[in-house]
Amino acid sequence: MIAREVVLDGTAYSADAIQRAAYRFSDRLSLELVVDETVFRCVLNVETDDGQEADLVVSDFRKEVLDQVLRERIRNDTESVRNVILALAFSKTGLTSDEE
Amino acid sequence: MISLQGRAVSVVLQDPLTRSVWLLVDGETPTAPHDAQAYLLSEGGPTPEGFGLYVGKNGCCCRPPYASNFVELPGELDHVEPGDVLSLTREGTRIRVLWRHRSHQNSILLTERCNHYCLMCSQPPRQVDDDWLLDDAFELIRLLPNTTTSLGITGGEPTLYGARLLEFLTLCRNLLPRAAVHMLSNGRRFDDLDFATAYASIDNPNMMVGIPIYGSEPSLHDYVVQSRGAFDETIRGILNLAVLGQRVEIRVVLHKQTAPHLVEIAEFISRNLPFVDQVALMGLEMIGFARANMDDVWIDPIEYNDELTEAVTLLDRSKIRTMVYNHQLCLIDPGIWPFAIRSISDWKNEYHPECLNCSVIRDCGGFFFSAKYKMSESIRAIPAAGSRPAPALLTLG
Amino acid sequence: MSKFQAAAAYEPTEAAWELLPFRFEHFDEGRVLLTNMVGEHVFVTDDELVSVVDKALPATSPLVRQLRGKHIIRDAVEDLPLELLALKTRTRYRRLPEFTGLHIFVVSLRCEHSCPYCQVSRQSADKTRYDMSAETAQKALEMVFESPSQSIKIEFQGGEPLLNFPLVEEIVARAEELNAVYQRHLTFVIATNLALLDDAVLEFADAHDVYFSTSLDGPADLHNRNRPRSGGNSWELAVAGIRRIREALGIHRVSALMTTTEASLDRAKDIIDCYLEQGLSNIFLRSMSPYGFAVKTKSHAAYDVDRWLEFYREGLDYILELNERGVSVSEQYASIILKKMLTNEDPGFVDLTSPAGIGIGAVVYNYDGDVYASDEGRMLAEMGDTTFRLGNLHADSYRDIMLSDALLRPLEESFTLSAPMCGDCAFESYCGADPVRHQATTGDFLGRKPSSAFCRRNMAIFRLLLERYESDPKARSVFLDWANR
Repeated sequence: MIAREVVLDGTAYSADAIQRAAYRFSDRLSLELVVDETVFRCVLNVETDDGQEADLVVSDFRKEVLDQVLRERIRNDTESVRNVILALAFSKTGLTSDEE
Repeated sequence: MISLQGRAVSVVLQDPLTRSVWLLVDGETPTAPHDAQAYLLSEGGPTPEGFGLYVGKNGCCCRPPYASNFVELPGELDHVEPGDVLSLTREGTRIRVLWRHRSHQNSILLTERCNHYCLMCSQPPRQVDDDWLLDDAFELIRLLPNTTTSLGITGGEPTLYGARLLEFLTLCRNLLPRAAVHMLSNGRRFDDLDFATAYASIDNPNMMVGIPIYGSEPSLHDYVVQSRGAFDETIRGILNLAVLGQRVEIRVVLHKQTAPHLVEIAEFISRNLPFVDQVALMGLEMIGFARANMDDVWIDPIEYNDELTEAVTLLDRSKIRTMVYNHQLCLIDPGIWPFAIRSISDWKNEYHPECLNCSVIRDCGGFFFSAKYKMSESIRAIPAAGSRPAPALLTLG
Repeated sequence: MSKFQAAAAYEPTEAAWELLPFRFEHFDEGRVLLTNMVGEHVFVTDDELVSVVDKALPATSPLVRQLRGKHIIRDAVEDLPLELLALKTRTRYRRLPEFTGLHIFVVSLRCEHSCPYCQVSRQSADKTRYDMSAETAQKALEMVFESPSQSIKIEFQGGEPLLNFPLVEEIVARAEELNAVYQRHLTFVIATNLALLDDAVLEFADAHDVYFSTSLDGPADLHNRNRPRSGGNSWELAVAGIRRIREALGIHRVSALMTTTEASLDRAKDIIDCYLEQGLSNIFLRSMSPYGFAVKTKSHAAYDVDRWLEFYREGLDYILELNERGVSVSEQYASIILKKMLTNEDPGFVDLTSPAGIGIGAVVYNYDGDVYASDEGRMLAEMGDTTFRLGNLHADSYRDIMLSDALLRPLEESFTLSAPMCGDCAFESYCGADPVRHQATTGDFLGRKPSSAFCRRNMAIFRLLLERYESDPKARSVFLDWANR
């Protein structure tokens, strides 16, 4: 087990995005997340004793966090249109309790 | 190339003609004279009395009865036969052949008006009051044998007539119960659910509308048809027709703008309109606007061979009946030949010198007459195993 | 005089793009996979992905046309994409209101085979202890027709159902009587090892349109090693049974399933060849079951996802090669996934669907009257975990059973759209929830996907199928054919 700390800007990243990234990597590391004023301190406990491998995992983790930020933007951006589509899809089939 | 209209060589009328649409008959036609029949005179043949119009071919020395109406046809209309239906102006000077008795591919032009302006339109729109075309069409239906098996309806945009079109289609259904009716339309009018419902209530299971789609999204389609909002209304029209259980064919004319996107279009159809009855992929006819816009629309079909093969495969595996029209067999992948229809209307097709030695000429639709303006560089006779006598060659030009 | 307008006149006036719901996964070097709300896919580059999310793609970009056609972005003013996505979504979920279509009757636990991987059977002649009673069968039938499904499939399982054939006959007769009133589309299947197939069974199957499903693990040496019985002739009897049914009733009346063991993993081609020799043109290259005797006998311990994936790849590639040579043969798991990937249709496969197929797709009436949410749920109970026992036919009503917490909780908790990682996954439309498997292997309905063998295996298969689809036109044609059956 090797511990590495990654500091992420609190304005560019959200705790949710970081946690989602950590979840995806939960077979390779565990995360301790600390909010320190304007930054997030992420202590990554990587499941390896090889320093180089740990570096690789951390680097992949950083990329994953960026992906999660993108996903968060997509989710937020599309949440209401998604609800409209679902409402359109199911409004006449009787799956919902209020029938047309 | 068979001509379907011309100017009379000579006209002798007692009074202006009482009608415009005439069924051609001759001595062999065992029917009593009635006022919609025009008698086709022949050299040395009988000249019965009592017909409202007598017609002679160019240069025939036959004489109609005294004090009757007579029109001499121009040479390009030498092909007319009894059973054909003609439309003449009241002065008898201009003649249109509305129906060729021996053809399996008759289509009726209802109007030249259109609310689109397609880049490659073979029948460029004209903003004219041509209701008389629809009037003629009503008369035509009344003169056809009730055993008629197929009927094409074209324009312009037929649905511009609204309710009158629906009356016409109802008449087709009622007087020609065995006819497969195939109407070309841009489909936008069917976005109006009332109109679509009225269309559906004609209740003709043998009726199909052929609707073009030129893109998987609005910008390409709207550009090709030169109308903003066309894609949306057309798709909605198709969806309404589907809900109403009506038969729909999707047409895609393949040219420089559409062919590169053919696979996307096929994917769009298979995922969003999987219920359509069939898809027709059409080769370009180099007349009308297609000639004027040649730089923007001409592409040698051999260049989109891959996209065509891919699209046909996709649609066919998605269980959508797919046909390829107006493509010479040497320009398409042999794997696609089963989907190729020998489709160029018999009044339009021609062959190339290269075809003289081609083993599959009989299965191939040949060329549009208009191909003389532009054709593929890749026309090649397909060799056969063993020899076969060559068919007679029609020369172009 | 040109009255024609240029293409630019038909693009949106400003590139005012809005995103439609979509998800992404990095696919390989330089490619990112995007999937829309109904699983239609397109590949873009990393930079393009960022441009898409930034809504910075210029209106003239060729990618824009593709993304609009695939319902990943839209012009802010257009509604048609929403309507089409709604239509497609509704089509995908069309089976849900039908509810339970597959009703499994475990007519006996007795079996004359002793397969090490079996979860449930008993080497016993004690009919009273391990056979379903007529009363239980009757109660089960009443519950079958409470389901609103227009298509009802009654499947006989065990143990070996032919060891209690009289009850099978009775259930078929009572079902047909009931169906005279209910008027459903009713089918029957017997899942049997075929060792006990005889003329009486065949005549009965002919008279009542009964189908057969059997086990064929591969060539004789492999099959008999996996499936011992006294006489050691399981394979010979299965193959003979298959031939008899095909000739007496028709080729579509019998299908075969393989069970994958450690010993199968090197034999993909042999197994496929064996199926072809028996005239079977569809094969299901199954993953190994984590349940029952398999765990007890450690035959599960040796199994490893990556090794299985090699086996699967080899099998699939061989099948594609055969198709290229003109031999029509399909792989069932790929076909199921491809139907989700390439069409809006639901393949109705209860083990790869979300919401999960437990209860909603299938239900099991055990020999003792206990009702289980799935066949695997029953197997889990034999191992001591009764999480998926929904009730008992002699004590509980249809409502009690179908609205029980035992059914609703796993359905809700395993639902992929609200599950961590699954909710964001670009492959989610192709995948499904398997609460029973996750319960068996991790102790909860959801599992933790990064370490889930189910997830790892399925993701690898999705990638494999997409990769072949994109790169090989011949594979593409075959896949489209399978997807549309």
